[in-house]
Amino acid sequence: MSKIIASCKDIIKTFNSGEAEVKALQGITLDVYGNELLMLVGPSGCGKTTFVSVLSGLLSFDSGVCKLMGENISAMNDDELTTFRGKNIGFVFQAFNLLPSLSAIENVALPLTVASRKRAEALALASEMLEAVGLSGKEDVKPSGLSGGEQQKVAIARALVHNPKFIICDEPTSSLDHKSGQIVMELLTKIIQEKGASMIVVTHDNRIYKYANRIVHMEDGKITKVAL
Amino acid sequence: MFRVAIEMLLHDKTKYLGLLIGVAFTAFLVSFAMSYFAGFMTRGFALVSENPSAKVWVMDSAVSSAEATINMSNSSLDIVRGVQGVEYASPLYLGDMTARYANGHFQSFQAIGVDNATLSGAPKPANLLRIPNSVIIDSGGTDGKLQTPIEKKDMWAYNGSHLNAVTRKLRYGDTILINSKRVVVAGVSHTIPRFPPRPLLYTSTSNFKRLIPGEKRYITFIMVRPATNIAPEVLAKRISKQTGLKAITSSAFKKETVMWYLINSEDVGDMVNMVVLAMLVGFGVTGVMLYMFTYENIKQYAVLKAMGASIKQLTDMIYTQVFIMAVVGSGIGVGISAIFGESISSASFPFRIMWFAPFIGFLGVFIVSLMAAFISIRPIKKMEPGIVFKL
Ligand SMILES: Nc1ncnc2c1ncn2[C@@H]1O[C@H](COP(=O)(O)OP(=O)(O)OP(=O)(O)O)[C@@H](O)[C@H]1O
Ligand SMILES: [Mg+2]
Repeated sequence: MSKIIASCKDIIKTFNSGEAEVKALQGITLDVYGNELLMLVGPSGCGKTTFVSVLSGLLSFDSGVCKLMGENISAMNDDELTTFRGKNIGFVFQAFNLLPSLSAIENVALPLTVASRKRAEALALASEMLEAVGLSGKEDVKPSGLSGGEQQKVAIARALVHNPKFIICDEPTSSLDHKSGQIVMELLTKIIQEKGASMIVVTHDNRIYKYANRIVHMEDGKITKVAL
Repeated sequence: MFRVAIEMLLHDKTKYLGLLIGVAFTAFLVSFAMSYFAGFMTRGFALVSENPSAKVWVMDSAVSSAEATINMSNSSLDIVRGVQGVEYASPLYLGDMTARYANGHFQSFQAIGVDNATLSGAPKPANLLRIPNSVIIDSGGTDGKLQTPIEKKDMWAYNGSHLNAVTRKLRYGDTILINSKRVVVAGVSHTIPRFPPRPLLYTSTSNFKRLIPGEKRYITFIMVRPATNIAPEVLAKRISKQTGLKAITSSAFKKETVMWYLINSEDVGDMVNMVVLAMLVGFGVTGVMLYMFTYENIKQYAVLKAMGASIKQLTDMIYTQVFIMAVVGSGIGVGISAIFGESISSASFPFRIMWFAPFIGFLGVFIVSLMAAFISIRPIKKMEPGIVFKL
């Protein structure tokens, strides 16, 4: 394994929803290396989503240190963090989260649009990316016209179009049937190898464990086991 | 990002159309109500508009509208005529008269007595008033109130009133009775309808005095035409100063009359309340709809934020959407109000588009849209982008 892409130390996160207090993360320490595919597994409610939210700068936390590409994200303000995220992180969600009003190619181009890249340039890169995920010909189709697997491929293309160093996938296969899930995982593995990025995949799906370089088990807001 | 914002806005055609209709309806309501109101107010100062050459109006110092009046002493005319800069001054006599029709029905009129010599203030052809005991009548915005029987046998019948006789419109040559005195209808005019509507009766000063005898003071207004070398404002001030009477320019008098209606007239008060209520409802609905539109799309904003869109980019998107809605919607609304209003504008339905009607229509929609945008931005600023995982 090469250099460290992300590093968390003693992360604690507590949710206060009214009376109840949920200790979602109770001291998480973990390093993510360059070029690895790390899977995060564990029972429902153990804090997996909370952890990746923290790790990607989407959620503030109570204590601990979280560094991404060597930078302490707690030291950034909201705007800096947003820009940083836009440049360095790609996301794939369980529910795809494509914008229904945009065509496939426009969806893929979004991270570039957000970064104010020229439209022609953004669409050219998006088109290449769509081809890489095997969706050439579907450029102008809206999400409602695509199957679940195709939508997730669009989402993957969108997560990768701006060449992020770090890709976060929260249950990328759980809305898909087995076959589509395998295809999506193969695609992800192939692309991070080509692009040299690191990836965290949160999953319940033990049929995709085989794609992992490391599997991190969580329970009750703590890491219980790291398997190679 | 503008493109994304626009695509987002146009994506759901039904929602977009709903929003558009809401905004257009509000703009329509506002500009229509304002035009309707302006139409009524224009009728409120019809007497002033009807006499465009009278640039200065003189009245008792307590009078503040063309609607509620009290008379001045009869010498005031000569006094005003003596003021330097007055080229020409003629009196206007206002009073209420009740006329008996040939079939026995009666009707009250606002009588307007005009200067014997010049007949200025009477509708054209004013010369008809030179016929002895003659009047020119006018519906003044009313309907079916100027009627006389068709058949001779129903007129002034010796056996009493023929109230159910079939009638036709009064016309040249018909007679009516006022204070038991015979009056000849010399003409029927169509001047500016009044607010509130009332039949009008124009006649000469001498006939006016014959019909309402016994009043000590007759002169209600003195209409002044200034000499060419003096501004109406200046002359008005001079007349006030020298005579102790109230003298104001015709445009100031119109404004005062509108103010008077706003303060004193229950009808206008009700109308204003209704207009304000309609505006508030329209604005409220539009605001809530715009807010809901943004709120429904909050997931999409969260996704954009996760991908690096700054708060400024997101708020710009919302402003873009709201701006487009406001421009298109209020354009449609104001347009429809103009077309609709002009097409149904009539004697019984005043409609006057003045500059402020579309202006307030647009402005109102813009303010409401901005407010809605402003409120919509709050949840977006507050949202934890982490919710993207929970969608
Ligand atoms: N915004 C929130 N407010 C309050 N409690 C929350 C919030 N988000 C998560 N939690 C709680 O924190 C704990 C961890 O939630 P998290 O979503 O991280 O679990 P998870 O491991 O991703 O579960 P799953 O496998 O079901 O997705 C849960 O008990 C959850 O109820
Ligand atoms: Mg989860």
